[in-house]
Amino acid sequence: MRRGGGGAAAVARVRGDCCCCRRPRGGAAAPPPPARAMGDAFRRAESGTQLLARLEGRSSLKNLEPYLFAEEGFPVHGDVIEFHGPEGTGKTEMLYHLIARCILPKSGGGLEVEVMFIDTDYHFDMLRLVTILEHRLAQSTEEMIKQCLEKLFLVNCNSSTQLLLTLYSLENMFCTHPSLCLLVVDSISAFYWIDRSNGGESFSLQEINLKKCAEFLEKLVREYHLALFATTQTIMQKSTNSAESSFSLKLQHETDTDYRPYLCKAWQQMVTHRMFFSEQSNPGNSKAFSVISCHIKEKHVVKRSFSIAECGVQF
Amino acid sequence: MALLRAGLCPGLTAEMVPLLRASGLRTVVDFVSSDLEEVAQKCSLSYKALVAVRRVLLAQFSAFPANGADLYEELKSSTAILSTGIASLDKLLDSGLYTGEVTELMGVPGSGKTQVCLSIAASVSLCLKQHVLFLDSTGGFTASRLYQMLQAQPEDEEEQLEALQRVQVVRVFDVYEMLRALQELRDSLSQQVLSSTGPLKVVLIDSVSAVIYPLLGGKQSEGLALMMQLARELKMLAREFSLAVVVTNQVTRDSSAGPLKPALGRSWSFVPSTRVLLESKETTWEKANMQRIASLAKSPRQPTGLQVELDIGNSDVQELSPATPTQGL
Repeated sequence: MRRGGGGAAAVARVRGDCCCCRRPRGGAAAPPPPARAMGDAFRRAESGTQLLARLEGRSSLKNLEPYLFAEEGFPVHGDVIEFHGPEGTGKTEMLYHLIARCILPKSGGGLEVEVMFIDTDYHFDMLRLVTILEHRLAQSTEEMIKQCLEKLFLVNCNSSTQLLLTLYSLENMFCTHPSLCLLVVDSISAFYWIDRSNGGESFSLQEINLKKCAEFLEKLVREYHLALFATTQTIMQKSTNSAESSFSLKLQHETDTDYRPYLCKAWQQMVTHRMFFSEQSNPGNSKAFSVISCHIKEKHVVKRSFSIAECGVQF
Repeated sequence: MALLRAGLCPGLTAEMVPLLRASGLRTVVDFVSSDLEEVAQKCSLSYKALVAVRRVLLAQFSAFPANGADLYEELKSSTAILSTGIASLDKLLDSGLYTGEVTELMGVPGSGKTQVCLSIAASVSLCLKQHVLFLDSTGGFTASRLYQMLQAQPEDEEEQLEALQRVQVVRVFDVYEMLRALQELRDSLSQQVLSSTGPLKVVLIDSVSAVIYPLLGGKQSEGLALMMQLARELKMLAREFSLAVVVTNQVTRDSSAGPLKPALGRSWSFVPSTRVLLESKETTWEKANMQRIASLAKSPRQPTGLQVELDIGNSDVQELSPATPTQGL
């Protein structure tokens, strides 16, 4: 489904909004020749506007949260960021913080991009998000809150099969909404035990759904230039057998976390940044949390502390 | 995983199914994730027909995204905050139990979890005139104690008896009975049968650890899968029908000197959105022998660590009976 007028309006909107493209704007109204994108778009028939939307329309997520990312300062399109931590350490709060940054209007300090939130364990608290938005907007009227919330899309999934089928049907939505550049899955480990029990004895049967989801997510992220944030829960104790862990020992020693990878290899290999959340025991009464952000390829590690107030996460 | 069969969706004809099965596509997921051009060539079926079937199957089996603004409007009209009947606990929970969420009460045996559940049942059935479902897995529910709490309220006797009728008690002693009771609840709510269930607002489960404990332990994961299925069912009920679900749980410690943490392990700890720890401490004041303290261990709205003192039971009742009948586990 298309919002607004026909294709021309979509093109005009995309050209006007996008601030990151450094290509000189010649003012020409004709879309660029599709020859450039022949490589990966060959098999699918795309209209000119869809192509344009895909190439130009994903505005950058620069300044999303400079505290969280070790270098560069912003998530690049194609990044897969995993939030890992035990219960009560602020993962969902951090997601609300990022979503608020995305959907707030530019005048309110936001990026004005759309967010797709896939909720697998009915954890999403809309009232909490609205409280955070109200605190961040200078004058928060119902109208403004509604306008912000219109940029958020929510889906609830009941099983890993439904998650997979939902991802297939969401592909269409990414095509038609060029400003949809953030995909959040909370949490991707929610079906772990149920899948394990359904798969019986064979590991590959147990993991097959999550493997397919991970592969399709990778395809979506790559083709539509999204950034994916996913939370995983710490449900296993730290493995005493270090050979079992595929996480590099040096990194684990540096980060000193209770991390034991349990999801399938396909997911573990597509993660580009992994953030470990934990509670910090502070002298004094204030509750603080810390997040250790690791860039997997470059092996950068950065540690930050934050606290959670009524207005959300504060660094 | 749904198998492909004729008539599963309009367009999936009886001729197509064996052709698809011959090329290895047995389930909906297989069909949707396959390359339709290849399938059209291999099975000599029309590409357009396959695309149409794929679209219908996706529409039927996948979840539909909702817009945030619409959801907010719906939540504003359907969310309610229910008073627990204990003023200090209401303050701790930011004015009461929120519908659409799972709240957990944890404490050692005898710390008052069943009492708080009975107080919630009394307050919701009498003051708010809503129906309550009480799933009792420990045998700790006694109607006479509930009636005693109702009698402490200023309403007249007829209304108190009506309130008793609004509390439905089901005794479940293992997880399958509990799942069946929840399924029956779901069926009756979906059909909107008004006669017996009425406008149900609260589901109280005392206690969830009693039915889950026998399943856990050892190396099998079926117990954990059942626990997560129960958790999912509770959260779906709370969200879809705007109920407040309250569960009670035991506590354990990591080591003999560590802090108290909820039982049932790490996977369960993610399930409730609010968690209250109930403790009873001995005091030397002349007012009471036992002081009940409730502290907030997890909340989406309030800072954790808040503590209040609970007044359950006989402090409201006119006659003085120094020994509170203990209804611990």
